[in-house]
Amino acid sequence: MNNDQLSGAVWLVIGLAVCLGSLQYKLGSPAAPGTGFMPLLTGLAICFFSAVGLIHATLRRRQGEKWTSPLQGVRWRHALVILISLLAYALLLVPLGFFLTTTLFIAFLLRAITPQRWSVVVLCSLLTATVSYLLFEVWLQAQLPKGPWGI
Amino acid sequence: MDFLQSALLGFQVALTPLNLFFCFMGVLTGTLVGVLPGLGPVAAMSLLLPTTFHVTPVSAVIMLAGIYYGAMYGGSTTSILVNIPGEAASVVTCLDGYKMARQGKAGPALGISAFGSFIAGTLSIVGLMFIAPPLASMALKFGPPEYFSLMIMGLTVLTFLASGPMWKALLMASFGLFLGCMGMDNMTASYRFTFDILELSDGIGLVPVVMGLFGISEVMLNVEQSMGRTVFQTKIQNLLPNRKEWAASAGPILRGTVLGFFLGVLPGGGAVISSFVSYAIEKRISKHPEKFGTGAIEGVAGPESANNAATGGAFIPLLSLGIPANAVMALLLGAFIIHGVQPGPMLMKEHPQLFWGTVASMYVGNVMLLVLNLPLIGLWVKILKVPYPILFPLILLFCLIGCYSLNNSVTEVLIMIVFGLIGYGFKKFQYEAAPLVLALVLGPMMENSLRQALLMSAGSPMIFFERPISAVLMGTALFLLLFPLIPKFQKKRPAFGE
Repeated sequence: MNNDQLSGAVWLVIGLAVCLGSLQYKLGSPAAPGTGFMPLLTGLAICFFSAVGLIHATLRRRQGEKWTSPLQGVRWRHALVILISLLAYALLLVPLGFFLTTTLFIAFLLRAITPQRWSVVVLCSLLTATVSYLLFEVWLQAQLPKGPWGI
Repeated sequence: MDFLQSALLGFQVALTPLNLFFCFMGVLTGTLVGVLPGLGPVAAMSLLLPTTFHVTPVSAVIMLAGIYYGAMYGGSTTSILVNIPGEAASVVTCLDGYKMARQGKAGPALGISAFGSFIAGTLSIVGLMFIAPPLASMALKFGPPEYFSLMIMGLTVLTFLASGPMWKALLMASFGLFLGCMGMDNMTASYRFTFDILELSDGIGLVPVVMGLFGISEVMLNVEQSMGRTVFQTKIQNLLPNRKEWAASAGPILRGTVLGFFLGVLPGGGAVISSFVSYAIEKRISKHPEKFGTGAIEGVAGPESANNAATGGAFIPLLSLGIPANAVMALLLGAFIIHGVQPGPMLMKEHPQLFWGTVASMYVGNVMLLVLNLPLIGLWVKILKVPYPILFPLILLFCLIGCYSLNNSVTEVLIMIVFGLIGYGFKKFQYEAAPLVLALVLGPMMENSLRQALLMSAGSPMIFFERPISAVLMGTALFLLLFPLIPKFQKKRPAFGE
């Protein structure tokens, strides 16, 4: 199996799911299309184009196009760290408030990916949190969440 | 109101101190994000969209438009000095621009791209002023079938010009249309695919999707690579090109302008594509094509003019038909709607100060960019020296704040993160996200016009082929779809992108 065969198969599953999901809603008739009409059309289109892709990819497979790992040769753990820290930010933002969450977030990323000196970490994270607080909360009145400390 | 009066009104609006300030902020931010690799105009505009809620629609649009054409100026600086495109439309500038810098000609390369951008940008605004009004009056004759066919053609053009196999681009467009269906069905007021998530009842937000696909995923890919980059150490002097360089560049600038403008008007076209086409054309008609890739000034002048001309052209379908030509215009459409203004044929009549004010501000903005950019190059070089390991947490934070402050919703932040992961997967499996974004925006409009058209024709799809304008648009779309199947042309489909 090569890369396009895999992604094509995933799309086919998504397309089928969209079609099945659309059938839950009223389809109407061609003269008076209902709520599920357009989603069904898009689902059918996804199925059709993924089938075309699967055929295309299978022909390429027969010509010798093999699977190449998309994670090979890169530091994918870095990307994973980013993803987890983003999720943590989203979950901690309301309970901890904007200022503390942002300080921790910036400090963590500065240490975790390419470790910076602690002085840089402390200075950058506090400075970023302060400036962004002043910019978004005070000047632009974005109403960011406040923690137990009021900021 | 005749033309001169309208233009005067525009300048009256654009030259008020407040609007001058917003124009300045827009072009400055635009240049900054253009200079910084990994942060393009789409991400910057979605970031600043919430900040425009408190100002008048005119000021908001003036600033957001400034970000777009400002980014086109800024992108070239990074391409020339660092050999990394500051944003996608400047990819091709790396080829000759960086080589020129290595030969000690960074000054003329930066200079000609700024002057070329200025000339092209200004001429394309003239084009916009002359073409948009008649097109808008023609569009008043458009019914649902014409609108539907036009949008189908726009999506087809974009998938046709996308890099990689066409089935991938078509898959992305179909998926984008599906995402556009989520939320409330406008015609029956019933909900679909909301998964009981309150935030999805109005449909999936454009900003979280775009920030995830373009902002977050870009950072995830960048941190996987080694993050060192070197700004080419050179003295930047002689920013004003000499007579010989002007003579070599005049043709490419003018050709790039015309080409960029018309590709920009076409829904699905745009700055990225026009820069590639311009480079290909200049190379083909050059008397010394072998010099391209080794530091030919034509290879900088043409594409840089083309991408700026495309920005002016791209405003035409949005302002006269209400249809965005690319992802940036889609965001701008979102901004219009947030401010309660519906772009389209009636915009010029109902909101003349908005239309003409925006257009006039683009003249002002282009002058600002020319005056600002050349003296500020030293500053941009300093910013480029900020190491990426320090820069990327800031980019992520901007995305988080921008997305949250849109509706003060953590759910939307989570949606953004999910689309960051999806975008990462797209890049790994070589799918291009641009058709998805355009389809997501066009989706609800397309669904409405499709259903209205079918109501008109009592269910017969022939309505799209029986009305002349619609038939031409559909015919073009079908031709583009079937073109790659003709064996003779199978390898000839132009492939742009990386």
